[in-house]
Amino acid sequence: MTTFNRRQLLGLGLGAAAAVSLAACGDDDKGPATTGNGGKDYTGPKVTINLWNGFTGGDGDIFKKLVDQFNTEHANIAITVATYKWEDYYAKLPGAVSSGNGPDIAVMHMDMIATFAARKVIQPVDDVASALGLSESDFAATVWKGGLYQSKRYGIPLDMHPVGMYYNKALFQKAGLDPAKPPTNRSEFEATLTALKGAGIQGFWISPFQFTGGMTGYSLVHQFGGALYNADATKATFNSDQAVEAVSWLTKLIADGHSPANVGQDADYLALKSNQNAININGIWQVNDLKKSPDVQWGVAPVPQIGTRKAVWANSHNFTIVQQKTTDANKVAGAKVFINWLSQHSLDWAAGGQVPARNAVRDDPKFKELTEVNTLAAELPDAAFPPAAPGIGDVTNLFYTAFNEAVLGKKAPKQALDDGVAKADKLLEDNRKKYGS
Amino acid sequence: MPTPVASPGSSARVMHGTSTPYLFLLPYLLIFGVFGLLPIGLGVWLSLHQWDFQLPNKPFTGLDNYTELFTPDSLVYSDWWESVRATAIFTVLSVPLLVALPLGIAMLLNRRFPGRTFFRAVYFAPYVLGVAVVGLLWRFLLDANLGFVNHLFGTHTPWLTATPWAWVSLVGVTVWWTCGFNAVIYLAGLQDIPAELYEASKMDGASAWQRFWHVTLPGLRPVLLFVITTTILASANMFGQSYLITQGAPGNETRTVVSYVVALGIGQNDAGRAAAMSVTLTLMLAVVSIANFRIFRYQEDS
Amino acid sequence: MTIRRIALYATLLVFTAVFVIPLVWMVLTSFKTYPAAQQSPPTWLPDPASTYGYGRLFEAGSQNPVLRWFANSMLAATLHAALVLGTASTAAYALARMRFRGRGAMFGLIVATLFVPPATLIIPSFLIVDTIGWLDTLTVLVVPTAASAFGVFFLRQFFLSLPRELEEAAILDGANQWQVFVKVVLPLSRPALATLLVLSFLTNWNDFIWPVFTLFSADHLTLPAGLGLLQGAYVTDYPVVMAGAVLASVPALVLFVLAQRYVIEGISRSGLKG
Repeated sequence: MTTFNRRQLLGLGLGAAAAVSLAACGDDDKGPATTGNGGKDYTGPKVTINLWNGFTGGDGDIFKKLVDQFNTEHANIAITVATYKWEDYYAKLPGAVSSGNGPDIAVMHMDMIATFAARKVIQPVDDVASALGLSESDFAATVWKGGLYQSKRYGIPLDMHPVGMYYNKALFQKAGLDPAKPPTNRSEFEATLTALKGAGIQGFWISPFQFTGGMTGYSLVHQFGGALYNADATKATFNSDQAVEAVSWLTKLIADGHSPANVGQDADYLALKSNQNAININGIWQVNDLKKSPDVQWGVAPVPQIGTRKAVWANSHNFTIVQQKTTDANKVAGAKVFINWLSQHSLDWAAGGQVPARNAVRDDPKFKELTEVNTLAAELPDAAFPPAAPGIGDVTNLFYTAFNEAVLGKKAPKQALDDGVAKADKLLEDNRKKYGS
Repeated sequence: MPTPVASPGSSARVMHGTSTPYLFLLPYLLIFGVFGLLPIGLGVWLSLHQWDFQLPNKPFTGLDNYTELFTPDSLVYSDWWESVRATAIFTVLSVPLLVALPLGIAMLLNRRFPGRTFFRAVYFAPYVLGVAVVGLLWRFLLDANLGFVNHLFGTHTPWLTATPWAWVSLVGVTVWWTCGFNAVIYLAGLQDIPAELYEASKMDGASAWQRFWHVTLPGLRPVLLFVITTTILASANMFGQSYLITQGAPGNETRTVVSYVVALGIGQNDAGRAAAMSVTLTLMLAVVSIANFRIFRYQEDS
Repeated sequence: MTIRRIALYATLLVFTAVFVIPLVWMVLTSFKTYPAAQQSPPTWLPDPASTYGYGRLFEAGSQNPVLRWFANSMLAATLHAALVLGTASTAAYALARMRFRGRGAMFGLIVATLFVPPATLIIPSFLIVDTIGWLDTLTVLVVPTAASAFGVFFLRQFFLSLPRELEEAAILDGANQWQVFVKVVLPLSRPALATLLVLSFLTNWNDFIWPVFTLFSADHLTLPAGLGLLQGAYVTDYPVVMAGAVLASVPALVLFVLAQRYVIEGISRSGLKG
């Protein structure tokens, strides 16, 4: 794990925004109270700011180190962090906010932003973006747009996390394959599986669950030219011919014996680690996990292009500012300073197995040194991020349920996806009524 | 205990002032009123609304949340009835086992032999685990391809991802987890059956089976009613196991009502719909329980 | 040793194996290293044996104050059990022994609430504790769940089966109702109270959703709610989970063994006979 001291960081020259924040680093806490200037600096009385995240993996420790560093550098801002499992986190956030127990800053996946914005759990942060001169050109375009809801900005992107292809080099060698040359397209991929099968290896275990079979299916639907939704996310389209073709391609691999049936939760990944499964499409976050198992010979590469175009599932963590019952201008100002600071220090965050959202940070040579993470960063131009519509996460779950039924052979792929879309369209309509959009 | 209402019989010869009973009841009734009854009333009120913590408008929707449960082309209809089916299957499969197996264990442990305290503790031990641990433990042990159970038996049974195996797993894990609890209750009931009855029965030349049928079972009837009632309620409330072990798979086939209600109410912030489903489930359970009490009363009468 | 006795022990041992093997696996896993616990095919013995799981639990400077959670759980479960005993015993005594208007209806209403699935009342209960201002406090773990009908139902059955003569004798000696309850009924009911103590303690100790939903500060979490944070974000960290499970099981198991004699006696004497 790479760590940087502050001197190095200051020397990195992280683009225009960095210069702005340097001024904030040496401030004293005697300055007059302000209502905030969009995160450039904060000179008011000491504030304590509560931040919630869902980083329960090794990423939580890295996040905490960054927060400690921030607190040391900012005498008048103290960030306290609370961490919950993501599913618990999203469940408890609305109740916490409505009861006045919510955090000041909430870290959120981009597909949740619209939902929480529509419900007024979080507030616009347009001024952060404008005061810091942030614009679309500083970020990957889809991620930047994902923070918008009804033309207002609610999220400042921290990172991006696509899926990549992990493969077991020992098994590749056993099947006579070159571990330095993982497959990159459909014919190579299928040839790889055939070679593995010849060596008695079921090469590509397909999990029926969202993590990670569902995300593989999601990627392939986009690769085959489909999408989960139409352009404005008003209709579900994951039963299109392309989507059916994508899911059928996966289920056929099971029928052809390239994957066992009934792969359990995490079994695809654990089998990769115990030399039973050769290939697993999994999140970029597993880079750090694999490093904890030194006996495993593994490699990571971009997801091969199976369909007619490149595409991978990806999501992004964003900072949002919570809408309190009574707004404390000092807290909001301090929160914005923190968001800006961490956005610039996202190179350290990359060590947690995430790709920094800022282009400038990704172009930094220090980021290039994070070999594995950097390998997957190459996928991002083709990443298929989820759309920004309120309640969309619940609808996407219907795709994963349909995928589950198809992979487990409960229904034929077309039937499963048709049924899922019928339900999804009803839920989308229900969401429109509920959120009034 | 034929019905869940006040028993007759206490002649209350102990004298007390008119306010005394209420003073004794007051502390409990305060808590019961605020946290027992009020949430139910509030739940019924929520069920008549489209209700979300944060959305500014929480419109009154009348009985819409109820009627859609019975309207085949509604959003929730198929999920709701699929979850009712899952809860029904689980309850029907698990209750007989959870009623019968602990009885057998209790009868074994009711004998006097060295080490019985140890065995009682052993059979109760799984119950001290929380559901999260039970879920993670068994998800690992039962994995079709990597799990210990298939490894042990050299099988490839899809314990978690295909029915009927998923039901076998859910029921088996629940029996493993909660069996000791019912066994302890039975053990207690068995102490209450006078030894003379067994002696007399033996003198009449009754076989062990006849003694079980004519002495043990009738003596246990009140305990049995208690165990059956609480077990039905517990099984109908099952959701942690399905949420953690099978995750509802395949599809949503093993997702129970309570699991669905929690997902809707807390996961999707659709508290109105969730409340309507809760009320409907409660009514269903009340019907089953009343029938249960009736059957036992008829048996006692005959 | 007779053949019957051998058969008895054989049967018991078979059952014991079924019950204990998963628990043994749990304990052994808690001593494995992280990679070893994920091995397939799975291995029984930790090789190498490691305190990695326990080390992670008690890691210095980590954001997870496990001992604090343990103390919170201990305090909450103990206070909760005490509150249940206190309120349910007085209420059950009134319902069992005193005559007053509405007694039947009141008892019926209490028992009827057993039919409502508790997990479905989380949001209404949340709104109530929010109004009172108990969110994120110890009180929210102790009080609301004490409204359960189980304790009153259970103790009432027990009191009904107590011999009335002792209470009458105390009244003749000039004791008032409260003195009868405290000096005669409660001592006679020790077994039932011990039973209820264990069951309420365990229910509260293992409760999961309610604490997750109503507590907001890391320092206020209970052990089961907190241990969830240690299980790993993307792949389950089994040694840590199992070490946490061992830690959480010990107090409950000790309490059960201590109270076990009372538990069995308690339920048997409550008679549940109606």
